[in-house]
Amino acid sequence: MIGTTTGAAGSAGTGQTGGRKRAKRVGHGTERDFRRTKKGWLYSGPAVLIFGAFIILPTFYTFYVSLWNWNVLNPSLSVYKGLGNYKELLTATDPGFLQTLWNSLYFTGAMVIAGTAISLCLALLLQRGGSIMNASRVAIYLPNATPLIATSLIWGWIYNPQFGLANWVLHSLHLPTSPWVEGQATSMPAVILFSLWHEVGFTMIVFLGGLTIINDEYSEAARVDGAGPWQEFWYVTWPQLRPVTSFVIVITTILSLQSFTQFYQLSGGGPNNATTTLSYLVYEESQVLQNTGYAAALAVVLFLITVFFTFVRWRTTPGVSATS
Amino acid sequence: MASAAAVLVLTASACAGGGSSSSSSSASSSRAANAAAITKPVTITFDEVEAAGSLKTAMQSAVTAFEKANPKITVSLTAYSTYGPLLTAETAQVAAGKAPTIGQAYESWAEKFATSKVIVPISSLPGAASTMTTDLSTFYTGVQNDLKLPDGQVWMWPFSKSLQVLFYNADLLKADGITSTPTTWTQFAADLKTASKNGVVGITIDPGNATEGVTSGEEWLEELAASNGTQVYTSDGAPQFTSPAVVAALDYLVTLKKEGALATGTNYPGETALGAKKGLVDLSSSAGYYYEQQTVGGKFPLTTTVLPSGSSGSADEMAGANLVVFSSATTEQKAAAWKFLQFLSGPAEQAAWSAATGYYPVTSQALTEPAMASYLKQNPWVSTTITGLNNAIVDPPYSWVTQCGIDLSTAISAALSGTSASSALSTAQSACTTAKSNA
Repeated sequence: MIGTTTGAAGSAGTGQTGGRKRAKRVGHGTERDFRRTKKGWLYSGPAVLIFGAFIILPTFYTFYVSLWNWNVLNPSLSVYKGLGNYKELLTATDPGFLQTLWNSLYFTGAMVIAGTAISLCLALLLQRGGSIMNASRVAIYLPNATPLIATSLIWGWIYNPQFGLANWVLHSLHLPTSPWVEGQATSMPAVILFSLWHEVGFTMIVFLGGLTIINDEYSEAARVDGAGPWQEFWYVTWPQLRPVTSFVIVITTILSLQSFTQFYQLSGGGPNNATTTLSYLVYEESQVLQNTGYAAALAVVLFLITVFFTFVRWRTTPGVSATS
Repeated sequence: MASAAAVLVLTASACAGGGSSSSSSSASSSRAANAAAITKPVTITFDEVEAAGSLKTAMQSAVTAFEKANPKITVSLTAYSTYGPLLTAETAQVAAGKAPTIGQAYESWAEKFATSKVIVPISSLPGAASTMTTDLSTFYTGVQNDLKLPDGQVWMWPFSKSLQVLFYNADLLKADGITSTPTTWTQFAADLKTASKNGVVGITIDPGNATEGVTSGEEWLEELAASNGTQVYTSDGAPQFTSPAVVAALDYLVTLKKEGALATGTNYPGETALGAKKGLVDLSSSAGYYYEQQTVGGKFPLTTTVLPSGSSGSADEMAGANLVVFSSATTEQKAAAWKFLQFLSGPAEQAAWSAATGYYPVTSQALTEPAMASYLKQNPWVSTTITGLNNAIVDPPYSWVTQCGIDLSTAISAALSGTSASSALSTAQSACTTAKSNA
């Protein structure tokens, strides 16, 4: 196992090394393995301290707070509830926990499926070089570089049912207009559409990166054997992109489960809780209603769901679980 | 005519709890007596939401005037864009042990602050015990009652209050042949329906959500219900969402939506629609007056009126957060805070503040101040609506009311999206009842 790389890029890289001479690596226990030296701890110390202070400790603190009816204004007045907050999750209404969980999964599922498909298609279309292709890549990536809160504000106006650009375009094309984020059935699709516009640029770049390192010899061989474009993609190209695809799915799943800004600014969790996701509900309960203990319980559940999906993908991704 | 109306209102408001000249002079002398309480320089911090436009300018002017009159006191303002970020900031600062001296707070927040022992009763402020009652008596009756929490103590102090009013596009009224503004909600609905054509929707409301907090749409439902004879809460904060009056109020909105006379949006959508000539009327706070004017930009004249009546009369909801003093302040800061509260609620500053912002003065004594005279002359509707502060409806001061307000907003969204009004309100009633029992 010495010198084996892990993760998507590593696996993809392993695939193309073929008969090349592998670079000499330094294994565990050697002098240059900084993971086992004082210098190594010195170098990683600042990162570990920051990670511990801002991620690890707050995570454990959230577990602790979730067991209390926590008074954030005066913690000495907090009352221990044990698993009471978790039991309330199951009985809560308006919105119910299951409804918000469904909303989170709806959004996440749509982002993973549509986001992965769209970004893969865009990457395949734009993988060839040239000024137009490069300009297109920049144009598609640009939304991802913009602040989510700012573009959410702008899209709020685009979606305005009375004056918005979206309905103006539909009306001009003699198509039926939509209430967009104001409609119970249309609000989540509208948020998903905006989120795809904002996010696919990043995942497209990841796929483009994957496409640059796959082995062209297999594709050439397939074409010589008479494979069409679709067969070449399905049987040759995409299988080589499996590690990249897996990475995109995992990262999209995690980011989608944690998405908050667009729900806060664009739809406010409404109408009628149609876009109240777990992340938004954590905000609502903790910041608006100051039900800190209950919000902490929600955050713990969201954390466990995220861990679950990450674990599932980790176990089902070839070359990742085996090397760990 | 307007002047005569103003005089009538002045008289009526003074009789109806707005105080008297004797109490005015007494209050002034008590303020003067307290002026010597501060002997060394002290800085007080004030978290507020007067962050933009005329509100920001007026607040800074108020602080400048106060500091000039009280050279040993410095007021440090921290403005937040809306009440949501303000509550988050106040909570975070209290949790971090760095609470401001003074903060704006709604009634339900104040109850939470008080039960968490992080604010103090106004009477406990140095110098307040001897003068508070006199000062209190000068406020409109509704304002006085709004300052108390369920324990009967005064925990808050008034500063900027408003009522809801209707801002009409006068040109559209004329074009639609509506010669007089409606006096009943039934007539109002008919007018909205008449105006809703050719891209115009009679009224656009924001039902509200957790992000936005209390909105005019949710307040309108409360006013409709009260004008039907039942308020959405009892005085002890129990929800009455499933009462026939509340269901009828929500059905009223649903009917308007079905007839194409009502649209929904966010971020003051009624004001935007009115300014774009796509709405006949906007239901908004009187404090939105300058914003409405700015949005309209002189494209048409605005007609401002009071809310129509229902089967049980008229009902208007008083809005505007109060002021609270946090317990972590030093004795000197608390003394300075009391002086600042007195200054802000005094007749002279209330007149200046109201004329500059559109908020109503909390005391009728402000109406005779020079700063108010020209404002009242230009805006006679203020004179006809301000006595509403004596009997305006107010959400009861309980912490769960914040949750229940969101539940009501959700019920409005649900009903306007096709759920029956009674079913939507039943869901809200259940959630609010749970919130009350959990509290």
